[in-house]
Amino acid sequence: MKGLLIKDLRLMVKQQKIFSSVVFIAVLLAVVTGNTFFIISYMTFVASLFTLTSISYDEFDNGNAFLFSLPITRRMYVKEKYGVAMLLGGGLWVVSTVFAVAVGEMKKTVPMGDTLIAACGILPVMLVMLAVMLPVQLKYGGEKGRMATIVMVGGVFVVAIVLARAAQWLGIDVEEFLEKLQMMDAGTGAAVAVAVAAVALLVSVRASISIMEKKEF
Amino acid sequence: MLKIEHLRKKYKSFTLDCSMEVKPGCVTGLIGPNGAGKSTTFKAVLGLIHTDGGCVEIFGKSMEAFTPEDKQKLGVVLSDSGFSGYLEVRDIVPVLENLYNTFDKAFFLKQAQRFGLPMDKKMKEFSTGMKAKLKVLAAISHNAKLLILDEPTVGLDVIARDEMLEMLRDFMEGEEGRSILISSHISGDLETLCDDIYMIHQGKIVLHEDTDVLLGSYALLKVNPGQYAKLDQRYILRRRRESFGYSCLTDQKQYYLDNYPQIAIEKGSIDEVIAMMARGEA
Repeated sequence: MKGLLIKDLRLMVKQQKIFSSVVFIAVLLAVVTGNTFFIISYMTFVASLFTLTSISYDEFDNGNAFLFSLPITRRMYVKEKYGVAMLLGGGLWVVSTVFAVAVGEMKKTVPMGDTLIAACGILPVMLVMLAVMLPVQLKYGGEKGRMATIVMVGGVFVVAIVLARAAQWLGIDVEEFLEKLQMMDAGTGAAVAVAVAAVALLVSVRASISIMEKKEF
Repeated sequence: MLKIEHLRKKYKSFTLDCSMEVKPGCVTGLIGPNGAGKSTTFKAVLGLIHTDGGCVEIFGKSMEAFTPEDKQKLGVVLSDSGFSGYLEVRDIVPVLENLYNTFDKAFFLKQAQRFGLPMDKKMKEFSTGMKAKLKVLAAISHNAKLLILDEPTVGLDVIARDEMLEMLRDFMEGEEGRSILISSHISGDLETLCDDIYMIHQGKIVLHEDTDVLLGSYALLKVNPGQYAKLDQRYILRRRRESFGYSCLTDQKQYYLDNYPQIAIEKGSIDEVIAMMARGEA
């Protein structure tokens, strides 16, 4: 597992130009606009994308065949990818939150409390996003994976609309339900969000393992 | 060391049904034309593809029971796959160090220097020879007991091939009981390296013989129609119609030398044996 982790981190170091550009854009926008929410969401999102890139690197030139002849299992590979995602996403989330708080305080644009609440809100969103994107990437690979993600996002909207219509038909007041969600206190809201993200992640890991177990190289 | 029994894999237009064995201390070659099933066999042995039947045992363990710890004793080279080309040699050293408990870093670095492999150049920028040497070097640097090498010499010039074969001979001399399973469609590589050779054609093993026997007892008989009609057919394995009459493959060269001194008998090279086994009639 450690060997795989080193491989991925070394591959990411090779992308330092892209990474530097991301940090530069984030710093520039933060200094100009003072929008702390953007800094955290942008950096966290980009960090997650690095994990997807590492899967593409593994697939490049049929590299997976050799990779799985090394002393690893497919299960270990999946766990390592989620580990990298957590490490990078989590790491950059912490760094960008600290940076955002500092910018907010220096420019007096956003109070620290608001920045921290925004940061806590982004974390489960990032986890759910990873939970969806990682199995898709593992299943369909780089090119097809991007298309599959677009299709899936569209699918989520369609399902949401269908569910809303079905609720209407059953006499359930969706607006009232959403209002209740908004009325929820911050603690309960955070707990629900974290629980949803955790469940999504667990389901995602299982799905990814199953996808990798079925793959041929 | 490695035992394969009726390993089956079905594709739309191809079916593999392969049985073979690699004994401790032996170098076993798997030879056959492109598309014969060599790579499919290797991938099945390594668990990279799902199989439709049969059994594979490595170190006496079935593939299902094979663990990453067991895989530590394998060294693998695949012709069409390797480390990401975006990595440099200095990047893969810590990777191998952490994947293999017995990775010999000093040996690896020394050999990399010997073969002129640059430490700070992306592997995708390596020449074919450099890539191939690096793959073999990575496979032999962790005290493996069994090397599984799929076409390790493909695309190499004569000098690079010689260097690679030398690496493999050194590996075999390093410790008793080590084995190699190697595939190639370049018979010259196998003639000098292998103790025994399996020949695969259209997914099936059509011949298994000790290399010495293959080179010593196999021969091509070149006969005209009249000679062919009088020829003892008992030891003819394959025959093929030619402009002058027939080419016949036999594994009893001495018998025909003794009994048919008037016919042309050519020493059977592995290439000729493959061609006859693949295209000749039984």
